[in-house]
Amino acid sequence: MLGRRGALRFLALPPYVWLAVFFLAPLLLIVAISFRPETGPIDFDDPWTFTIAQYQRILETPAYLRRLGMSVVVALVVATAATVLAYPIAYFLAFRARERAVFFLVLLLIPFAVSYLLRVMAWRLMLGGEGAINSLLEWLGVISAPLDLLIYSPVAVVVTLIYVWIPFAALPVYAALQRIERGHLEAAADLGAGPWTRFARVTVPLSLPGAVAAFFMVFIPTVGEYVTPSLVGGTEGYMYGNIIQDFFSQAASWATGAALAVIMLLLTLALVAVALRLIDVRRLAS
Amino acid sequence: MPARSNLVRRVPAILAAATLLLASCTGAEPNELLVLEWAGYEEPDFWTDFATANPDTNVEFEFGSNDAEILSLMQAGSQSDIFHFYTGWQQFYVDEELVREIDVSKLTNWDAVPEEMKALGQIDGKQYYIPWDWGFTSILYNTEQVDDVTSWDVLFNEDYAGHISMWDDGPGAVTVSAYINGWDETAITEEQLTQIEQDWKDQKPLNLHYWDSEYDNLCPEVISGDIWVAYAWQGCYATALAEGVPVAYADPVEGRNSWVGLYGISAETDSYELALKFLDLKLAELTCSNAVTIFYYGCANSEVMAGITDEILIEAFSIDNPDILETTRFTPLVTAEQRDAWTAMWTRVKAE
Repeated sequence: MLGRRGALRFLALPPYVWLAVFFLAPLLLIVAISFRPETGPIDFDDPWTFTIAQYQRILETPAYLRRLGMSVVVALVVATAATVLAYPIAYFLAFRARERAVFFLVLLLIPFAVSYLLRVMAWRLMLGGEGAINSLLEWLGVISAPLDLLIYSPVAVVVTLIYVWIPFAALPVYAALQRIERGHLEAAADLGAGPWTRFARVTVPLSLPGAVAAFFMVFIPTVGEYVTPSLVGGTEGYMYGNIIQDFFSQAASWATGAALAVIMLLLTLALVAVALRLIDVRRLAS
Repeated sequence: MPARSNLVRRVPAILAAATLLLASCTGAEPNELLVLEWAGYEEPDFWTDFATANPDTNVEFEFGSNDAEILSLMQAGSQSDIFHFYTGWQQFYVDEELVREIDVSKLTNWDAVPEEMKALGQIDGKQYYIPWDWGFTSILYNTEQVDDVTSWDVLFNEDYAGHISMWDDGPGAVTVSAYINGWDETAITEEQLTQIEQDWKDQKPLNLHYWDSEYDNLCPEVISGDIWVAYAWQGCYATALAEGVPVAYADPVEGRNSWVGLYGISAETDSYELALKFLDLKLAELTCSNAVTIFYYGCANSEVMAGITDEILIEAFSIDNPDILETTRFTPLVTAEQRDAWTAMWTRVKAE
């Protein structure tokens, strides 16, 4: 007979096995491939000799490192903007929607029913030379010729990614806002705090762990993003994730692609570690 | 009766085992094919003769988005019976023993294929590949915005900044530079490659974008008027012409480029005979006509090409220009080292 602890361990086993097989093992494989000579896809019959040639080549190519820096900046802007814009939505759901909260939550999640690719493609129709935004601005007489800035630029990448991530970012903020004891707000009101003071001194601090979670949920995948830049980024919106994709798909150079991915992973982990050290989430939560 | 009900329950399994045993004894092939293709080629019009002749055969497709990915999938152990790639990549599949020789004596439409195209599918005198789709690469330009184009160097013309689109492909970029500079593209030196890299880095701001899908992000923008000058295949030219867009397809002094799509049969296939039938009927009249009239690709069946009467297609394939092939340069074989160096060079250009 399994004890209570044994039963819990038994129940936890499948997810651990799942993570080990489908997350940890592929990750370790990527790391291993990054240190072997460039021979295309994996062939277990090939000798696994060790080399750091890929890393040397990447670190000697300033253009790759500049794109990594640019990708981090884009991710910071997108994560910050998506979190800030998601906050009012989450606030409305938690405090104002009341019995209609479920309905609005479903509305928020409706975009997920459409494929990611289609949602990004829709932005091409919005931002294109003859797209909705340019046509409207021309009709209003604000501009006389289509704005080049709107499509095939880093701006287009940022705008599209913010749109894509807002519903994701709203969910952890909503969860954090829902957990706030209404009694805290009532106590603040009894002590003479106005609506803005209650919001700034009670609601925001107590919801910050959710906002921080939302920020990282957006930041981490955006650093390696490659689909949106390839569709709306043009020549200047090319991001670090596109370099990785090119080495895996266009060049069949898996070792270099893997080394690029490992560098990105290490940098992202380092940035998250530094950020979490600066922002004491546990203290915020208490 | 437990014993009887057990037996009844086992009947389907026994039948399946017997079928398998029978199939293995007779050497029968599975009646199904998996084709490693480029997206879009799975359209029934592209294999209509085979579908009509073999209605019970299950044909499925998996996809690669470029030649490198298709080679990678084959190297990684794709279960595909047939794979489709383009000129320049023939040697790799033979070197890695991924492809099986074609028994052309079993192809009923083989005689309709021109000898020059047959030769493209041969390595060391053996026929490993069947040529199928083909076309030109040249400069597609909007005649209302751009003066007559006579050279590939129009891609570097600053007058058209923001309205140029180059194909997102390293070997393609090297080919264009080799044409412009008069270099042998099969023998590009390190110094030449350095200059090519710098030239394309300087050219980068002139592009609206690099296109990677002809009918997704090249043609729509040629038709909308956003792109005036593009590295393009003739399919987009014909499409734009059919839409009434004022476009022309250049005959550069350096010559046009021409590409040919090739099909190979996997060395690991269990369906060799069926794969041969599939490829034979790819060359059949209706399937080839569909490729030409619906998708504006050339087809290796010369009788179909000779029967073209549509003005747009005659224009697109320069059928009324008897000298066109004399000034056309077929994509040569590249080595693995060249392929990797050129693609890495292009990645650095894009990352700049």
